[in-house]
Amino acid sequence: MSDFGFHLAFWSLAAMTIGGASMIIISRNLVHAVIWLVMSMLGVAGLYLTLSAEFIAVVQVLIYVGAISVLMLFAIMLTPRAERDNSQNIKTAGPAGLVVIMVMIATMWVAIDTDWGAVREAALTEQARLIGESLIKHYILPFEIGAVLLTAALVGAIALARQDDEDAAVHAASLQAELEGDGSVDPVDVVDPPLPSDGEAGS
Amino acid sequence: MTDLAGLSSVFGAWYDFRDLNNLQRLITEWIAEWGPDWLASIVTGVLGALGILAVVGPTLLILIWVERKVISRFQQRYGPNRVGPKGLLQPVADAVKLILKEQLAPRAADKLIFFLPPVLIFVPGILIWGVLPFGPRMSVADLNVGVLFLLAVSGTAVLVIFMAGWSSNNKYALFGAMRAVAMSISYEVPMVLALLTLVVFSGTMSINGIVEWQQQEDVIFILLFPLSAIAFFFAASAELNRTPADISEAESEIVAGYHTEYSGMRFGLFYAVELGNTLVVSGFIATFFLGGWWLWGLDQWVPSWIILLAKTAAVYFLLIWTRGTLPRLRIDQLMSFCWKALVPATLLFVVVAFVERTLILSEGWDTTVALPIMAVFNIALTLGAIMLFARVARPAPLRRPARIRMAGADIGGLRAARDVASRREEPQLQVGGD
Repeated sequence: MSDFGFHLAFWSLAAMTIGGASMIIISRNLVHAVIWLVMSMLGVAGLYLTLSAEFIAVVQVLIYVGAISVLMLFAIMLTPRAERDNSQNIKTAGPAGLVVIMVMIATMWVAIDTDWGAVREAALTEQARLIGESLIKHYILPFEIGAVLLTAALVGAIALARQDDEDAAVHAASLQAELEGDGSVDPVDVVDPPLPSDGEAGS
Repeated sequence: MTDLAGLSSVFGAWYDFRDLNNLQRLITEWIAEWGPDWLASIVTGVLGALGILAVVGPTLLILIWVERKVISRFQQRYGPNRVGPKGLLQPVADAVKLILKEQLAPRAADKLIFFLPPVLIFVPGILIWGVLPFGPRMSVADLNVGVLFLLAVSGTAVLVIFMAGWSSNNKYALFGAMRAVAMSISYEVPMVLALLTLVVFSGTMSINGIVEWQQQEDVIFILLFPLSAIAFFFAASAELNRTPADISEAESEIVAGYHTEYSGMRFGLFYAVELGNTLVVSGFIATFFLGGWWLWGLDQWVPSWIILLAKTAAVYFLLIWTRGTLPRLRIDQLMSFCWKALVPATLLFVVVAFVERTLILSEGWDTTVALPIMAVFNIALTLGAIMLFARVARPAPLRRPARIRMAGADIGGLRAARDVASRREEPQLQVGGD
């Protein structure tokens, strides 16, 4: 590809990434911030494409845009006070900014210090195969540790979200009381007709 | 494309309509003679996008008529039959009506995010067509990671639906969005696993590569992995919000779900993209499981894209059929079907695919002998799994959920949820989002 097309793609994607990232900080609404974050992540995916790393680019969209941002939105929806103005966070801005600056300095130091000459070799064609092989052969231990960690997180999430039957009964009762106060029809109290037990319903 | 290609100069010329790539190649070569090469790539991309739009746009208009007509035949009524011959102009009349309608926006809506989704929903809806191979060389982008691209792009549509539901500041829209997000996150798992069987077995992530594998081995994947095909079909129809699984816009429960507050052509855009997605998913089911543009040598005589469109139409009819036949499921039923039935079954078939692939690759089994045996084994396994699900291991549906899920005032600190809570104190219920 000639230089013009590459530069056009690079600079527009860079503007998209950095612009989105700045808007995350500026925007006062948490949901807006997540949507700007999505834009920034899409820009990063595009930058991967200009480096002909299409596997990483697609995975970036799949995981960060399709999954992680949706999870973030879910978390925001389930958090009380999610609607508050982000500028209220001004008290913690000092220490947080300090941490961010330190991380940024470390990253830039690594980026400048690394010898990027190796990248100039021919573009990798079978990236998925190469990544898979190195994950299974060379990096098997971190891969397994990641798998165990994710499983533990999954079990933990289920344990947190799971409600005991007693809790559920109390919750239903409180909801029922709330709804009865409203005078509307109570969906919990609709009586089912007597039916054969549910396990046998299909046979 | 064919063995005949070398016989005459007619084959492969730009007017050879069996492979529309010829025309595109001519234009690219002509530009490359005088222009910079970035112009050629841009023109190719624009031409591909325009070609897709030119096919999809008119097809959607016809499909609205087809879908309504077929559905009404299932329900023993006539369907649209007033506007134009046989009611054929009904979609046009509907579109004109939608364009003329007033564009309303709730006063309390989040203005920027409210206006974006009808436009943004088009992006994945159009992008996804880019990797659908209409012929050996007829896809806008034949990516090495086509399957992943398909999943990634279809995953972003969830975000747009969420934006639409959240920004409307309406409890029904919010519930619809929450349901849509929860459901498509869940059904993405069996969808990925069903595609993983194909990727493992054919050894490629390119969509055209999967079709070529089927052509090379003379077998279509629905015979080898019928359960993956069934799971993909169900998961896709759930992701498409079609009737067995259209809880995110269940009109008898939550008005119209995430697009409750969208009027006029904004609603029309959501509707159009939904139909277009149904069509493209039919195309992908045809490509992955029915051999795509290939049909046991018929692709030598009939243009490959006609074969693909015929298969797509067949799958699309099946989707309309399920929509016209099955009643809507509740969210907990859909979730339990996904996690307790589809995910274990597709996981089982991923393992089966690994074992069979290893038998062919490492043990050197001859594919002409091994594939029929594996097909019979897998079909038997599928039938066994379905029988097991229907008779024994069927997850008992909850007749009365222990608690109301994803409802009530405790969804986040959202304005819509607070409105619900505040309206509880008023004597009569008001219509939301005013």
